[in-house]
Amino acid sequence: MSKTDPRVGEIVQRIEDEGQGAFVESYDPDDEIMTINMGPVHPATHGVLRLLLELDGETVTDCKPIIGYLHTGMEKECEDQNWRGAVTIVTRMDYLAPFFNEHAYSRAVEKLLGIEVPPRGMYIRMLMSELNRLTSHLVQFGTQGLDMGAMSAMFYGFREREMITDFFEMVTGLRMNHGYIIPGGVWEDLPDGWQEQMDNILEVMPNRLNEYQDLLSENPIFIERTRGVGTITAEECDTFGVTGPIARASGIDWDLRRDMPYEAYDELSFEVPIQEQGDVYARYQVRMAEMVQSVALLEQIVDQMPDGDYKNMDPKLTPPSRSELNRSMEAVIHHFKLVTQGYAVPEGEAYFAVESPRGELGVFVVSDGGTSPYRCHVRDPSFYNLQSLPVMAREGLVADLIACIASLDPIMGGVDR
Amino acid sequence: MGGMNDYYGANFVTTNLDKLVNWARKSSLWPATFGLACCAIEMMATTMPRHDLARFGMERFSASPRQADLMIVAGRVSQKMAPVLRQVYDQMSEPKWVISMGACASTGGVFNNYGLVQGVDQIVPVDVYVPGCPPRPEMLLDGIMLLHDRISKGEYTSTRTAVS
Amino acid sequence: MTTVTHEVLSSAEWAERAPVLRDEGWMLLDLHGVDRLGLTGDEDEQRRFEIVCHMLKRADASRMVVHVGVEGDPPTVASVTRVWGTAGFAERETYDMYGIVFEGHDDLTRILMPDDWEGYPLRKDYDVGKIVIDFKPQPFLQTESPGQAPSFGESHVETDALGQMKRDGDDE
Repeated sequence: MSKTDPRVGEIVQRIEDEGQGAFVESYDPDDEIMTINMGPVHPATHGVLRLLLELDGETVTDCKPIIGYLHTGMEKECEDQNWRGAVTIVTRMDYLAPFFNEHAYSRAVEKLLGIEVPPRGMYIRMLMSELNRLTSHLVQFGTQGLDMGAMSAMFYGFREREMITDFFEMVTGLRMNHGYIIPGGVWEDLPDGWQEQMDNILEVMPNRLNEYQDLLSENPIFIERTRGVGTITAEECDTFGVTGPIARASGIDWDLRRDMPYEAYDELSFEVPIQEQGDVYARYQVRMAEMVQSVALLEQIVDQMPDGDYKNMDPKLTPPSRSELNRSMEAVIHHFKLVTQGYAVPEGEAYFAVESPRGELGVFVVSDGGTSPYRCHVRDPSFYNLQSLPVMAREGLVADLIACIASLDPIMGGVDR
Repeated sequence: MGGMNDYYGANFVTTNLDKLVNWARKSSLWPATFGLACCAIEMMATTMPRHDLARFGMERFSASPRQADLMIVAGRVSQKMAPVLRQVYDQMSEPKWVISMGACASTGGVFNNYGLVQGVDQIVPVDVYVPGCPPRPEMLLDGIMLLHDRISKGEYTSTRTAVS
Repeated sequence: MTTVTHEVLSSAEWAERAPVLRDEGWMLLDLHGVDRLGLTGDEDEQRRFEIVCHMLKRADASRMVVHVGVEGDPPTVASVTRVWGTAGFAERETYDMYGIVFEGHDDLTRILMPDDWEGYPLRKDYDVGKIVIDFKPQPFLQTESPGQAPSFGESHVETDALGQMKRDGDDE
């Protein structure tokens, strides 16, 4: 209970009136609800999530998530940076899917600027996004296995993640929190030799994904622990604003890449896996199938990658290349203005959402015509998915609660921002 | 140099006993699970087969602070989390060490605002700072090996003095 | 292209419209606040805050953005937690960051900041809270003789409003 909880005052008053025996006499042996705190430092809460559990024996009667242990003031920090610099802040929100944060933000700013991204830029964005979807689902697969005692899943999942983060490092210079997708396109073109790296990854991935299916999908213990556990219906998903694999596992047929296509997703063909049961096993199956679809998308992207500019080369937006600075005075002035102040974005507000591995990730930006965002709010999917945890965990065991949290895949950086 | 030496005087038995004890301490440091944000993912990646923290005897992350020797603060520490951090540090038993992993834990990192504690050394004494955002697993391993050197020389909490 | 409708409502209209929208099939995606201090142009203190609600109707793939004006002191608006469960956390966060009170919310307490925090961080008159970068004195660099490196213990680096370093004696 916090200090401001009114029940504290009542308890203190009762003790003052009746003495310390006030509560002993009112002990009701039939009332066995126990309130227990789980977290924020806990091996299975996926970050700094605190849960207040009300238990009747081993059964969870209520579960209240308490968040805010990772609140970084990112939305206020964005207002202090210029439009290009805010990408580095936004990327650290949902830290397992950094490209998606940057993508949604860049798209929202491009809406305000009214500019187009060249086709190569769009394809590079999709390439990095789908690879990021793979790494995020692999980490989720690993932590789900780890939380349920299947530690091997963790080692297998991270093995593939290492291959993909090597590719990220080759292209962006960083393994995580890249700051690569910026308003206008991407920061740098793909380096030479990227196709061989991608071919290596795509050659190996389908077999590895089959390996994961062999590891867990038919395992009777895994099935016992996940089938029928943590069920959520489609109506409850709609009430709580739950999107992404959790909604698709409850039968909601909605994927932003197919239904509200952005970038060049309408030129690619893929399927959207749907399950009906809405339990932990269904979510697991949806994510495994999404990984297979991501590999299919990646093959198409690598085949169809167009040539050309990787970002919008408007001089008011993009600093000119070094060689031009030697030749043109205008280029020097543009470079100076862009590096010191950044570009100004016309007044207005815009919202853009992408399909991240956890659901709909949207960014709402308001501009006052200046060089830094006036308001930058991120609609993080984990924040809203977490509200459905009490519904999932009710009348289940504590061990089922662990499985539910793992299948929800909350990323506290996005929840708390 | 700390340990038996100081109590019983330096002779053949105590110096070698100290070396043995320090070697044992550094060879199986058990980290406490304190992964907070993005650095936690890289810390998990350090335990994975590519970078393999298990060769240092450190793959057993202890959820209970009583059984942990090392607290790797991996990630940004917010205002709400600071008392929890201090409580977990106090609950660890001596000897204990702290590695501040990442820029946010060392100095507040990219974020300089109301929400974060600007450096975890405002709350707990830190032995090794590992910079980066997030640091590569190899950088964390380098920091851990630096800590191992310190431990084998016998440096631990009670010999730390406050910087005036 | 997806259709996006915009609506601007007052608090009372919002309380009536919300159940109607839910019955039409709209799903609430996001609810957050905006502090328009300095944005409206006119010094209308009453229209300083507003909340913005993003909604989605899957049946015809359309979005809606509703701006609800917030008035009063403390700024108050009707809560929609009975209509959509999404609003539970979202309204608490808006209260925490802006101080906007939602009438009818069961548990309007701080969610991101500690319970005893004072002030509402995302308001425009709340400072970011930047800490001045200050280097600690280095004992091994204390040297006063001329021709040697300056002792870093004496000087500290301050940043001015633009984030650029000020040298000692710059602003006197």
